[in-house]
Amino acid sequence: MNTLMAQLKFDGRRLILRNFSFQFFSILMPAGFYLLFTKVMVSGAVPMRFNLQYMASMIVYSGTINALFGIPQILMHDREQGLLQWLQLTPTGVKTYYLSIGLWSMVMNALAIVVLGGLAVVFNQVSLTVGQWATIVGIALIGQLPTMLIGVLVSFINRAETLSVVSNLITFPMAIISGLWWPMAMLPSWLQPIGKLMPTYFVNNWLGAVATHATLNATTVIGVVGWIGLLTIIVVGGTRQLLKRGDGVVKA
Amino acid sequence: MTTIIQAKQLSFSYGKHQVLDKLDLTIKTGEIIGLIGENGAGKTTLLNLLLGVRTADSGELTVFDQTPGSALAKQKIGSMLQGDMAIRGVTVTELLTMAATNYPAPLSAATLITTLDLTAFAQQQLTALSGGQLRRVTFALALISNPDLLFLDEPTVGMDTNAQQAFWQRIQVLKAQGKAVIITSHYLPEIEQVADRILLLQDGRFAFQGTFATLQQRYQQVVITFQTALPGSTFDHLAGVTAVTGRHQTIKISSEDRDATLQALVPYLAQLQQVTINRESLSEIFVQLTKGAKA
Repeated sequence: MNTLMAQLKFDGRRLILRNFSFQFFSILMPAGFYLLFTKVMVSGAVPMRFNLQYMASMIVYSGTINALFGIPQILMHDREQGLLQWLQLTPTGVKTYYLSIGLWSMVMNALAIVVLGGLAVVFNQVSLTVGQWATIVGIALIGQLPTMLIGVLVSFINRAETLSVVSNLITFPMAIISGLWWPMAMLPSWLQPIGKLMPTYFVNNWLGAVATHATLNATTVIGVVGWIGLLTIIVVGGTRQLLKRGDGVVKA
Repeated sequence: MTTIIQAKQLSFSYGKHQVLDKLDLTIKTGEIIGLIGENGAGKTTLLNLLLGVRTADSGELTVFDQTPGSALAKQKIGSMLQGDMAIRGVTVTELLTMAATNYPAPLSAATLITTLDLTAFAQQQLTALSGGQLRRVTFALALISNPDLLFLDEPTVGMDTNAQQAFWQRIQVLKAQGKAVIITSHYLPEIEQVADRILLLQDGRFAFQGTFATLQQRYQQVVITFQTALPGSTFDHLAGVTAVTGRHQTIKISSEDRDATLQALVPYLAQLQQVTINRESLSEIFVQLTKGAKA
């Protein structure tokens, strides 16, 4: 427990308190987008439904940025700098490290929900029950799993430059075609069916349904669970292959 | 002295490529071992076996009478590997404090900061440190478990002269405390000076195990240096000569038979100036040995 607490303290500082990248891209930017598209760049009254739906979209977007940019960069950085090697050679091993990163990743997502939810309540008078907020937090955390798993896969890339390019190529097209930035109806008709297969589309739909009291489509839940299952198989299989091909932890 | 590492007929291969071939090795408390060899000689694999990251195909290996990689063995080993440890967003003290909790009876971060003279930058973020300062932090990490066996990989890279001296003094203190140290480095003059024993790995086998003095005796190489107007080729075929190098009238002859070569040089003595005779350094012997293996 002492080891986990120490690891959590260590990671809390570098992942949140001293991580400008997280503070800007995962918190300030989605918050700015939310205010921009619900308060600034609007004419007339904005429907409450849009305020809620766009809050859900920005929560998913923040989690996606964190899962595909923030966490993979940190995992790769730790591997490059030798922290992971060092921990692997201790009696504790790397389990505590991964547990700590996983827990902080959830806290980071929860922080985005608090900030975006707070903005929605203060500036757009959004009113949800405690049960709805709790459900949103739960779904957002579960819904982060598919993108987190993609992030773990991306973190296996050896070069920082390549990792950044791949993260960009996945995150932004996925965010746009799954309707996180603007409504899907604005996309070309041939692109919409592809967008509706993205994990972020299913999570956004699910959160939106809870926030707006809409009927939850079974396909949405199946989509999220399906992505988690598929990506878990790929990540577990990929990790095993990498460990088989790896050359140990020491390079002399 | 107590045996720390015992390996018998240790072999390891990647597919059909035999990386380590029936190695026998014993390392005892208080020994400083220099593990050297060309890239691909098997150093990395041997270290990975000793650390328990890989398992040998055949043979026996114990570290502190334990299976390598067991929790008990890990508690007694400290490693200074090649990563920089320039972790973003944390200070030296914060890293060492976290690291200490991974061991049952660690040294405190404060103790190490004082002992290793890290106080001046202990509260600085790791990313703000120079390469030499980071190596010193990595050394502190290796010592945090208060280990009985240390693995040091290219330990002084980036350190300035003062830091290097302080580092080797600390290694001597650790040796006096009975700790064993295994150093791998491509900077052979350091190994030559500090190692009690040298392990020279070549194509998965120990081409040599012993003291540097024994190595010098066994290969009996000497270097004769002098100044002359004569071309270097004049000395190519003299008795005992294994290599002739020269630049700006300074000729350097490597000889495997000092007496024979000196005898053969007598007719040229009038044309030679500033003659010096030295034993070959570890680097020169290493080059000769590895060149011989390739020939």
